[in-house]
Amino acid sequence: MIKLLDVSKLYENDVTALKNINIDFKEGELVVLKGVSGSGKSSILSLIAGLSKPSSGEVIVDEKKISKMADHFISVYRRENIGFIFQKYNLISTLSVAENILLPLVPLNLKKDELEKRLSYVLKLFNIESKRHTIVKNLSGGEQQRTAIARANINSPKIILADEPTANLDEKLSLEFIEMLRDLKSQNRTIIVATHDPLFFNLEFVDRVLEVSNAEIL
Amino acid sequence: MSLLVSLLASTLFISNAMKTEYNSILDSYPNIIITNQKAMRDSTIDENLVDRVLKIKGVTSVVARVWGEYEFTQSEKKFMLIGRDEFESYASPTINAIRSIEPDSMLISVGVYEALQKAYYREYFNFIKSDGTLKKITIQKGYIGSTIQEQESLIVMSKENLKEIFNYKESEATDLSVSVANENEVAFIAGKIKALFPNMKVVVKNDLRVEYENIYNLRSGFFLTIFIITFFTFFIIIYDKVSGLNSEQKHEIGILKAIGWRVGDVLNAKLYEGLIISLFSYLVGISMAFIFVYVLDAPLLKKIFLNNYDLMSDFSINFSVDYETLSLLFLLSVPIYIAATIIPSWRVATLEADEVMR
Repeated sequence: MIKLLDVSKLYENDVTALKNINIDFKEGELVVLKGVSGSGKSSILSLIAGLSKPSSGEVIVDEKKISKMADHFISVYRRENIGFIFQKYNLISTLSVAENILLPLVPLNLKKDELEKRLSYVLKLFNIESKRHTIVKNLSGGEQQRTAIARANINSPKIILADEPTANLDEKLSLEFIEMLRDLKSQNRTIIVATHDPLFFNLEFVDRVLEVSNAEIL
Repeated sequence: MSLLVSLLASTLFISNAMKTEYNSILDSYPNIIITNQKAMRDSTIDENLVDRVLKIKGVTSVVARVWGEYEFTQSEKKFMLIGRDEFESYASPTINAIRSIEPDSMLISVGVYEALQKAYYREYFNFIKSDGTLKKITIQKGYIGSTIQEQESLIVMSKENLKEIFNYKESEATDLSVSVANENEVAFIAGKIKALFPNMKVVVKNDLRVEYENIYNLRSGFFLTIFIITFFTFFIIIYDKVSGLNSEQKHEIGILKAIGWRVGDVLNAKLYEGLIISLFSYLVGISMAFIFVYVLDAPLLKKIFLNNYDLMSDFSINFSVDYETLSLLFLLSVPIYIAATIIPSWRVATLEADEVMR
């Protein structure tokens, strides 16, 4: 489903983030990319999400070369296929929980009923109904995390990418997140988690653990 | 931005009101005014000179005017008293339109009516003559006055009554107003009058216009200063906006792109944001200017414009909606602000989302 073919990524300051990476992710698979900070895990997620383009090589998702897509189409691809859970949540702090969750749907101009239906579903699924109208900056770390997951799922994406999802959570909240992942996996979503949190390495529902080090997959 | 729009609108409103007012005042002036000078001061003039002036070719009418200011001490207001003879033709449309004044009566403007009401003069008013005795004049029904200055202070009564109040002799007048058939001949005829009466002061309407315009232009200097300062401030704000977004704003655009917004979606949102902010600021600014100028009568700013300005001492700002000014301010504020919102957003939105969020 997702293929990275001979992908390299060089940043402007000549930092090599990825060197000739070749990986294949199957549909419904949950893969953990482990490695220290700066190893290149996040760059892999970023390329799959189309947030950046490879310096060389190709990223193919569902037979589409997304690394060659124009910005306009890559945005649509992202909206329809990708749910991205960022390490720092990347929520808009001045908006409410509901507003943040609905943001990916704004360009679609959906009817109010449809928006409400989708919103209620994810609020319930990620147990954040009671915080619906709370401004995000007033939420705890765990609540912000749940909001970010709810936003990533509002479009029911096929692919969920999570970048260091438990970096800012305590153990209890991290275990809660892992349970949410289990639920998402049961819905046949393709999930890729980039983390250095050992909690993820021995989970029975994780299909593969790949180690990324010095811009390469070991 | 609201404050800047408000300041600019206020100065434009006052400036336009002044221009309109002095133009309407000048319209009511005769072509030439002859005043007698004694020891470099204005003095009364002999009414019998009317016939001599009438003999000058091109002069259509000459009126011996009786007028003067009367200080109403109770309200610290100055009334403009004008004597009217029903067989004479006056340059001022307001005075000319008056057909009959009852004996020992006067016609008053709204401003005078209000001042007299406050002092409990409802039926009549006792003018204090120069010898200290009183002259009782009945207030005739109806108001007069078309220009703001007239509406503020005008009183019209018979020449006889006014002469009595000012202690003029039978044949004395304040000045002579001369009407000329051909506007192009005014200067020439004024020269002839000057030659005929070398001791008299001859003022032509154009001289007055120049005097008004000089004062207006001086005030326009103040206006220009305010205008330049306001614009400079506005463009600093715009420059600041155009030169780049802060890291939080960039990050927000990065988030929107990361969750699937296209460049067009981001720009649409920014367009609405800019439109709402700039329209709101514009409307608030214009409303503030309206309240400041027309409700509060532009305290401070009006003083700057009219300081020591005797020609329009009673000037109060007449309410008018000046669409040209409103459109000018709209064009200078709203589209520029929207552009200043969209351009930096576009620059950021076209970058890779990953680069923007990093």
